Amino acid sequence: METTLSDILQEIRSIYYYAPLAIKIAMIFIFLAVSATVLAYLVMLRSRYRNFRQRRRLQKMLPKIDDLLINEIITNPNIPQDVAPSKVALDLEPFDALPLHRRWGRQMLTARIIHYRNNVSGSAGDLLRNLYLQLDLDKDAMRKLKSRHWNRKVEALTEFTLLDMPISDVTILPLANSRNRELRAAARQAYIKLSKNEPFKFFDSVTDPLLPWDQVELFRIITTTTDIAIPNFARWITYSSNKSVVSFCMKLVVHYNQIAAVPAIVKLLENRDHLLRADAIEALGRLKIAEVEDKLVHLYTSQPLFCQIAILKALGRIRSGRHIDFLRNEFLHSTDFDLRKAAARAIVKNEVVARGVIDELLATTKGENLLILKHCMNPLIKY
Amino acid sequence: MNRILLVEDDEVMPKIIARILPEPEYQVDVAVNGKEAMQKLEDNNYQYDLVITDIMMPYANGFEILSKVKTHDQEHPIPVIIVSNAGNEDMIMEGFKLGVDDFLKKPIIPAELIIRVKRLLMKK
Amino acid sequence: MSSVQEILAAFYDSSIFVYGLTLIIVYGLLALLSIIAIRRYLNATKPSQLENLVSSPLAPGISILAPAYNEGLTIIANVRSLLTLNYPKFEIVLINDGSTDDSLEQLIREFDMVAVDFAYNEKIRTKPVKNIYKSRNLAYSNLLVIDKANGKSKADAVNAGINAAAFDYFVCTDVDCVLHKDTLLELIKPVMQDGDKRVIAIGATLRIANSSEFDEGVMTRMRPPKAMLPRFQEVEYIRSFVLGKMGWSALNCVPNVSGGLGLFDREIVIKSGGYDHKSFGEDMELLTRMCRFCEDNKIKYAVRYIPKTLCWTEGPASLQVFGRQRTRWARGLAQLMFAHRGVFLNPRYGRLGLVVFPYNFFFELLAPLVEASGVIVYLWLAFTDNVNWPYAILLLIFVYTYAIMITTLSILWDQLSFHYYKSFKEVLSLCIMPFLEFLLYHPLITFYSLKGYFFFLTNRRSSWGNMQRQGFKKAKTTT
Repeated sequence: METTLSDILQEIRSIYYYAPLAIKIAMIFIFLAVSATVLAYLVMLRSRYRNFRQRRRLQKMLPKIDDLLINEIITNPNIPQDVAPSKVALDLEPFDALPLHRRWGRQMLTARIIHYRNNVSGSAGDLLRNLYLQLDLDKDAMRKLKSRHWNRKVEALTEFTLLDMPISDVTILPLANSRNRELRAAARQAYIKLSKNEPFKFFDSVTDPLLPWDQVELFRIITTTTDIAIPNFARWITYSSNKSVVSFCMKLVVHYNQIAAVPAIVKLLENRDHLLRADAIEALGRLKIAEVEDKLVHLYTSQPLFCQIAILKALGRIRSGRHIDFLRNEFLHSTDFDLRKAAARAIVKNEVVARGVIDELLATTKGENLLILKHCMNPLIKY
Repeated sequence: MNRILLVEDDEVMPKIIARILPEPEYQVDVAVNGKEAMQKLEDNNYQYDLVITDIMMPYANGFEILSKVKTHDQEHPIPVIIVSNAGNEDMIMEGFKLGVDDFLKKPIIPAELIIRVKRLLMKK
Repeated sequence: MSSVQEILAAFYDSSIFVYGLTLIIVYGLLALLSIIAIRRYLNATKPSQLENLVSSPLAPGISILAPAYNEGLTIIANVRSLLTLNYPKFEIVLINDGSTDDSLEQLIREFDMVAVDFAYNEKIRTKPVKNIYKSRNLAYSNLLVIDKANGKSKADAVNAGINAAAFDYFVCTDVDCVLHKDTLLELIKPVMQDGDKRVIAIGATLRIANSSEFDEGVMTRMRPPKAMLPRFQEVEYIRSFVLGKMGWSALNCVPNVSGGLGLFDREIVIKSGGYDHKSFGEDMELLTRMCRFCEDNKIKYAVRYIPKTLCWTEGPASLQVFGRQRTRWARGLAQLMFAHRGVFLNPRYGRLGLVVFPYNFFFELLAPLVEASGVIVYLWLAFTDNVNWPYAILLLIFVYTYAIMITTLSILWDQLSFHYYKSFKEVLSLCIMPFLEFLLYHPLITFYSLKGYFFFLTNRRSSWGNMQRQGFKKAKTTT
């Protein structure tokens, strides 16, 4: 059954000797296909060997690294408590046991330090960063940052961002406007995290949309960086012409409960872009701004379906109980299933005030509407 | 001696916690996934003073472990701390509905974890 | 040589030669495009980013739809493994499609479920839903079980799930598939990374689970199938996903998102009418309708694939089940091409009409016919001693080596990016398959395809009778 490679080669050679010229040329193509296949095996073998070597190194090194990091850094009783962790002169001697003269050794340690910093913060996190600096592990990333390959630059930026390494604005800002999307995104994250001057500066100038994926990263960096000065986001909500920036800023306003930015969001209710308006309605609901309820109800009839649903949800979140009649009306008379469900949910959320209405609806409605109401009242059903 | 069950699929966290909650005062039992955690709870007849668990793990997630621990002995429930990097609002709410005693987001501050652990053990 | 033979020989010399050459060039291009797309994917994917999405309040919600029919043996383990997926905001909608075993009772017992008053909105018509269950245990609050009357098709079951789903995106899978724990993170990523196109569907690489080890629905050891037939399928899947689909993904011309695992935009699916329960290839048929819907409504859309393996499925281990599956697929393809013939070469449908359909028509639908007729003509010519043997054998060797090269390259791409399998020996056990494929596996597929076309042509009017879920319920021989 098994056909080996050499059998096939033998076969080809014997045919080749008896073949006319035209066929010889054609056979070159066969030869190419065969050599590509053989090459593929060799590359596979090499790649698997490298992978194997890397795994073996990791197996050998990681326990050592872990011991060092835990004993010498995280739980070392000799580290003075009264000195700021970033100023402590660490005892680097035990780390000589690691192959830090090799690049893979340094990379392995750096990756592990980052891994530890994902698990511990506070002074232990600062000490780990201090170690990274004192062992000169940042040199590799510095070199990568100057590389011509964009993915190397991204790697360097990510490393610096994760380790809180200050980089000068002049280095990052050109990259924040790079034509490569990944690089641009990484540079913006680094800028927000590391810039000492105005971390939100690029919000002013960004013209391309901030993709949802980049927003996740930015949101995390903004909300987890401790020493960052949070500006009033109303500035961009009012003046930015970039819709994604406006929408993103509203999410930040909600996160920081920035009541000062509410007037700017209210103005967006007049905006002609449906999606932006829906975002504004949602933000106001999450901020529980009872003052805008009347306006939302007033706007309701002129909105497209998803904005209407957003309004009903917002009324449910605000829970002032002042528009139960409106909600009841929508629940009973709207023709759209989703609207009725959103209205029912909003009524149930206003339960404290709307107890009477709910009882009345439970007693009088029938069929699908009753089902919707029961669905929304059931604590077992989340959505 | 306080027996602690730590459920965590990341390899680094148990090493750190074993050091910051040292023997003989604490005895940290590590389960690397939900299945092992359930097994250890059963094997040791729920004789733990505290459970520290992550949320997203193979076999059974932290909420299942939490609910199992809390429903086992409702009179004297074992205190549970969730330590997770997945901590959006909904998840924290869900955790507290299921009766979690504390919710810490990764990266943790080791000193903070020690204090919270001590406080929960004292209450018990 | 008779004149008929001359004409035939001339025909095969010219047009079939062009046909073969085109196919060879297309495959060469796909190999090139796929490695570019894979590299792009690897460069853009840092594990830390996926972790960030796990903790983000901005993660979009996803509903997982898992239809099940008499899966009592594994259903609990599989639901448990779905419950532990890494994602901050998701629900599992399990559709019990009128199982006759104790699947439902098991679920109710294991997860403490009760029937609830659920506002089910039938946006897509399905067989009646009998009951909807939720768990009384908050730890299982994202599990929903729909009990419905058997609809005799996966399509009908998934449609019921789409109706009940709460989120804007849904992942469609089979309950007997085992998913990677990062499946949802990986699948939603292309949606969140596309700025100017609406990504309506995303697929990922599927693999054959037959010899891999699983423990309560969690993959513990990945291994190529030991038995011959499943191993052929594994190689075929690697080629079709890693090389084929990734290459098409680079051109935004993905023809099909496999029914085993795919993420879809729920709004577009509903507006396109959901899965067609009369179709034999419901996954490809739905995607075609979704693309048509987008073209008709001037929505800029994209269908993407990612090279990472996220799903393991049991491949048919017996020739009988395998044959049924492939016959069904071929019939589905013929059905689809016929039903949507208006798209074919229609410039109004952009790349769908000018690339996806022509390619599938000429090189997927016609290929078995061309091959079979080619063999017949070849035999006839040989019988009447009209073959230029050295030339013929050379061409055969050329096709043979080229096919081996393409398949080996796809195994290489896969290995370069992910280093699957434990030892090189296991990889080699896959590498020998392309040498045998041409002789053993390929003729089988051609035969079953022709059988499928034949069924399509003969049963066109009365095809309702044998619509049993073939291919959906896979053989459960080894685990």
